Amino acid sequence: MKLLFFGRLADRLGREILISAPPEGYSIAELREIIAKEHPQAEADIRRSSVKACVGDAFVHDSFRVFEADIVEFFPPVSGG
Amino acid sequence: MAVRSRLVDAPFDADRALGQFLAGLGGGEGAVVSFVGLARLLSKKGSRIERLTLDHHPRLTKRSLARIASAAAERFDVSAIDVIHRCGEMKPGEVIVFVAAAGPHRRAAFEAADYLMDRLKTEAVFWKREDAADGSRWIDPTDADYADRNRWER
Repeated sequence: MKLLFFGRLADRLGREILISAPPEGYSIAELREIIAKEHPQAEADIRRSSVKACVGDAFVHDSFRVFEADIVEFFPPVSGG
Repeated sequence: MAVRSRLVDAPFDADRALGQFLAGLGGGEGAVVSFVGLARLLSKKGSRIERLTLDHHPRLTKRSLARIASAAAERFDVSAIDVIHRCGEMKPGEVIVFVAAAGPHRRAAFEAADYLMDRLKTEAVFWKREDAADGSRWIDPTDADYADRNRWER
């Protein structure tokens, strides 16, 4: 499974991390916990509710399940202009 | 209705953008309002900014610009909208964003430009980092930015 990070998360984690998912997949909440444990430098940010998970270009809730072939993107709050 | 939005990764000339926008109008307009946002020289703490970086998403950033431009075109009595937004690294003084709105009367054009900027500040898919003399900071929208955005809720 490919995880992509943007903004401050990309500073802390790099743009991309590859992880193996079990056959039953992971929920987004479980993924956040895995990232927090394996990458303590991003722990506070990845747990924030303002950081949204995105699958297939759509935001998904923390209960959404993702599988090995999925790409999951994590967005901190956006700001243009 | 001419609605245009562009994402650019190199410096652009706001004068030229306005000239092109004016040249492309249909002729029925009585008002054009444009806004130019610049990369600041000083951070909120007053330290000198060396570089501003706008991280973006390979698909959703362009889509967010198009959605915001279309929403302004639908909502206000305007005949043309243009949005140009930078991404990547830029120096203080460079143009980050250009918006323009044209219509038969000034009020709608002013409101459309204001609306475009309020939504861009809080919904355009970018992540902004200031690298200043005293360190680097990611810039989130402020409460005031969200309040400005919420003025347009119906």
